[in-house]
Amino acid sequence: MTKAVADDTKVVRGIVLRRDPAREPCFDIVDLHEQVPDSGMQTEEARCQRVHREYNQEVQTLEIAAICLADFPAAPWELRLELARQCWDEARHTALMYRRLKEMGGWKGMYPIANLDWSVVAMLDSLAARLAVQHRTFEAGSLDIETFAIQMTHELGDHETAEIMEAIEADEIPHVRFGNDWLRRLADAEPRTVLQVAAAMTWLRRVVDATGGEPLHEVATAAEARELAGFSTAEIAEVARLEKEVLGTAAGMPPGQSGE
Amino acid sequence: MLTVKERGQFVATMRYVQVWLMETLAAWVPTTPEMEVKLLFGEHIWDVAQHADALGKRTFELRLPLQHSLRPNEAYVDFLADVAAIGPTPQRLSAVYDVLLPALSTRYRRYMEQTDALSDAPTVRILERDFADTDRMVRAGHALRQELPDLQLKDGAWSAALLAREAAIDPVVASSAGALAVEA
Repeated sequence: MTKAVADDTKVVRGIVLRRDPAREPCFDIVDLHEQVPDSGMQTEEARCQRVHREYNQEVQTLEIAAICLADFPAAPWELRLELARQCWDEARHTALMYRRLKEMGGWKGMYPIANLDWSVVAMLDSLAARLAVQHRTFEAGSLDIETFAIQMTHELGDHETAEIMEAIEADEIPHVRFGNDWLRRLADAEPRTVLQVAAAMTWLRRVVDATGGEPLHEVATAAEARELAGFSTAEIAEVARLEKEVLGTAAGMPPGQSGE
Repeated sequence: MLTVKERGQFVATMRYVQVWLMETLAAWVPTTPEMEVKLLFGEHIWDVAQHADALGKRTFELRLPLQHSLRPNEAYVDFLADVAAIGPTPQRLSAVYDVLLPALSTRYRRYMEQTDALSDAPTVRILERDFADTDRMVRAGHALRQELPDLQLKDGAWSAALLAREAAIDPVVASSAGALAVEA
């Protein structure tokens, strides 16, 4: 399951996870999402918390795409190109969120951050498993969450943040799509891939259970976004069912803290 | 004038270097603490991936496999390994933006002086496009360090020595006998 060596790992609630990526000293790094302030969406302070959280989520997603490039030099070149492009997209998303944070009067390190997505995905020792967890689960889950959050942010009058979120969501759909596409291609080329993915998803459920995935949030599956991202109708229905039965939210994590 | 074989070897070797740079920047993203530097590397991963891709398409036109890379000579491989092992952020920035990218442009210019601009025009066009990107990348590296002076390397001799070491390795293409193809 793991690619990381012992020095690169940490133990959180009995689960071995990848040690956090490098951060500047201004950041207070915590292990769990529940330790990151989240006051909802209604107040300016709450929205600032959310933008700060997203700022770190975007950079984590950059770090995950980047480490996939570094760790799997034998991956098909076309897939590596997709990951390289994703690095640029996530860098831009991070910059957008940082710019918005500063416009709102915030700053780097204003709130604690958690790097749980990185700590989970960077533990997986196959690229297929990483695509399944990061692209097909975390990022696809964020499509559902963002679709809901964009509308809510507009309703609250924060149109600037909502427009940034919408631009980011448009970029995320191709990321999920190439994850879906390449998972199928890798599985066709190597049937063992299916076992790697199944093992990774089983492990992810254990991680979510151990790290405190919150109870079900009322976030509907964003069927249109998922269709654009390459999910079949049957897969979308299955995701909706799993949301209710297994994971809580799509990724088992609070809105705004799943994927990106 | 360069032969088709020599052109292919140069292009495939430069592809190796661009892929190496993509992987190195990618490995540095999670291990570099400064957010602004992560974002700079993230953007430039895509630039160098595109450079590698264009060179890899050209290898196929030069009687080599598609997306074919050739490992450079051992001195250059050692040089790249030493760069990849750099830890402190100011040195990482200097190695890429003060040394490696300008040095690659110098090698490209030298190649363009040697090749036939008409029969090898597709290679020339690829390299010319890379110049524009590389200039932008180098300017971005300088601008970031002006904005965040703590990232400025205090010891200019360090980068001068690295640049001199890079320049001393010539040619960078391994001899035909020793050239080792690398999978895309």
